[in-house]
Amino acid sequence: MEQNQKTDVIVAESVTKVYATDGIPVNALNGIDLTIQSGEFTALVGPSGSGKTTFLNIISGLDSPTEGKVWLAGKVLSEMSGNELSDFRRDNIGFIFQAYNLIPVLTVEENVEYIMLLAGVPKAERHERVIAMLESVGLTGVASRVPTQLSGGQQQRVAIARAMVSEPAIILADEPTANIDSKTGADLLEMMRRLNEETGMTFIFSTHDPMVMESARRLITLRDGRVDTDEAK
Amino acid sequence: MILKIAFRNTFRQKRRTILTALAMIVGFTLLSLTIGLSDGAYGNIITMFTRNRIGHIQVHREGYLDKPSLYKTIDNVSAVGEVIQSVEGVEAWTPRVYGAGLGSVGEKSTGIQIIGVDVARETQATRFDQKVVEGSTLGETASHEAVIGKGLAKIVSAAVGSEIVIVSQGADGSIANDLYRIVGIVESGDDATDRVGCYLHIEDAQELLVLNGRAHEIVVIVSNINQVDKITRAIKTQLSDSTLDVAPWQEVAKSFYRAMRTDQQGDAISRLVIMLIVAIGVLNTVLMSVLERTREYGVLKAVGTKPMQVFWLVVCEVVIIALGSICVGALLGVLVNYLLSIYGITYPEEITYGGMKLKTLYATVNVRCLVIPAITVMLSAAIVSLFPAIKAARILPAKAMRTH
Ligand SMILES: Nc1ncnc2c1ncn2[C@@H]1O[C@H](COP(=O)(O)OP(=O)(O)OP(=O)(O)O)[C@@H](O)[C@H]1O
Ligand SMILES: [Mg+2]
Repeated sequence: MEQNQKTDVIVAESVTKVYATDGIPVNALNGIDLTIQSGEFTALVGPSGSGKTTFLNIISGLDSPTEGKVWLAGKVLSEMSGNELSDFRRDNIGFIFQAYNLIPVLTVEENVEYIMLLAGVPKAERHERVIAMLESVGLTGVASRVPTQLSGGQQQRVAIARAMVSEPAIILADEPTANIDSKTGADLLEMMRRLNEETGMTFIFSTHDPMVMESARRLITLRDGRVDTDEAK
Repeated sequence: MILKIAFRNTFRQKRRTILTALAMIVGFTLLSLTIGLSDGAYGNIITMFTRNRIGHIQVHREGYLDKPSLYKTIDNVSAVGEVIQSVEGVEAWTPRVYGAGLGSVGEKSTGIQIIGVDVARETQATRFDQKVVEGSTLGETASHEAVIGKGLAKIVSAAVGSEIVIVSQGADGSIANDLYRIVGIVESGDDATDRVGCYLHIEDAQELLVLNGRAHEIVVIVSNINQVDKITRAIKTQLSDSTLDVAPWQEVAKSFYRAMRTDQQGDAISRLVIMLIVAIGVLNTVLMSVLERTREYGVLKAVGTKPMQVFWLVVCEVVIIALGSICVGALLGVLVNYLLSIYGITYPEEITYGGMKLKTLYATVNVRCLVIPAITVMLSAAIVSLFPAIKAARILPAKAMRTH
């Protein structure tokens, strides 16, 4: 890889997170320093409770660190207001969660176009992009169904389409393949890999899935809220 | 888009929507019913009170209402009457003469109020003839006949056919006395009046009190009670006589009007209670639905929906349900009030209000029984939805995503 052509899209500097539910402090993250560059296809692995989800939430601004700083596309997250963060997330980050992350009352098409709608993209363009996106995730003919009429794998494809359709710089996925069979998982992974190569979007996954680890270009292992290993493949 | 989601959410959670709507519909209908019944009752009372007794508007010599006196008279009665009749909206007018005196039947005597009435006009205006419960009404020409109140008849042990001697003072200072034949007994609905009231033909009364064609009062009946204020003003300008007072019934019967007003304010409290119960029910279901959908709101926020938009989403859902409920409630409210305006509710016991006896309670269908419940339901729904809406807007996506 030619490092000098890439920019740093995410920089985490000694990020710690302490949860204090029920008065007992839990150190979920213990000083994480990480730099993610544009175009990466990175997997975040580690045992359950090692802090993967917490880290993803913090670098996306869904949660704030107890200490440390996060730069996202050149901006310090902690310095943004709630509304700024909403807009920033909408424009820069696509989310794919483990499961159940579609809006149940909206059709597949509406779910995918939702973020563009928030961003004020004109109707004709929205429609065009949604149709193209659905096609590239292999979902044709289901645009007018609602999520409950889809299989788990199809729902996850919709989530991927929604995350990618507005062409954000970064896609964050928290265990995207955890709730689907391995065949579907492999298909989706293959698809995301292709999109990563075609568009240059940055992908970061948290996962327990060996298949995801296999196809990742960089593998970061967390243990007890620290970076244990960090290897490029 | 937010609206679209809100709209579909109300259809997705059918049971909850129905529950919420039911609370609102019941609240609306109950409110509508209480307003319909109370307006109906007060309307009924006012009609009886004005139409059958004091009239809608009264004209006197200035100051008469505050301090009645034999000498404060309207001098050109028929001229004033003609002017009044020419005002648009006036249905009828009738002059009256009042005087105090002593009435004796046989050995028994008591203080009486002499009420001189223009029989034909009085019958037309206040249905005088219908108040006669025994005997007959006064003849249309003056012939020394009297009709007395039921209470008075009892006090002096008079019956139809008895003769009553009235002693009074004439306007010229002379002692007046004359003999009249009792032809009828009336029940006006007001016991106090019936204990002293002695009705004479207006000409007999004028002769007795030496009033020479003058009267103390002109009672005006209008065709639409809601236009009383307007017609009062019109009569005032048409008469253009500063020595005459023109007063609407609210002024004539100040204490009656005030008492009724206070009663109506009492009704507002029962309305508040109904609304409070509805509000608590709605708050409960809305709060539950927000808690249940924490994850969904979390997703919405995670992908870039602003807190304010989530807030509106919740408010919109409630407002949509409220709008639907108001439509259904309006239909039900009108239907129930309409049925009750025809069939009424019979009181278990006859009740008396301000001396008037009421047997059946009739509702009324008016704008108030739609507008007031609509505003109340909408306002309380909106207010009640604020708290869950703020809760939803404040949901932390990171936390919400962990709850499955
Ligand atoms: N809201 C919270 N309150 C208290 N402790 C929390 C909270 N969220 C996470 N934790 C704790 O923080 C630590 C890290 O949790 P996190 O969810 O980031 O782990 P993870 O690596 O994503 O695990 P998994 O692989 O099971 O998803 C765990 O010990 C967890 O119990
Ligand atoms: Mg996790």
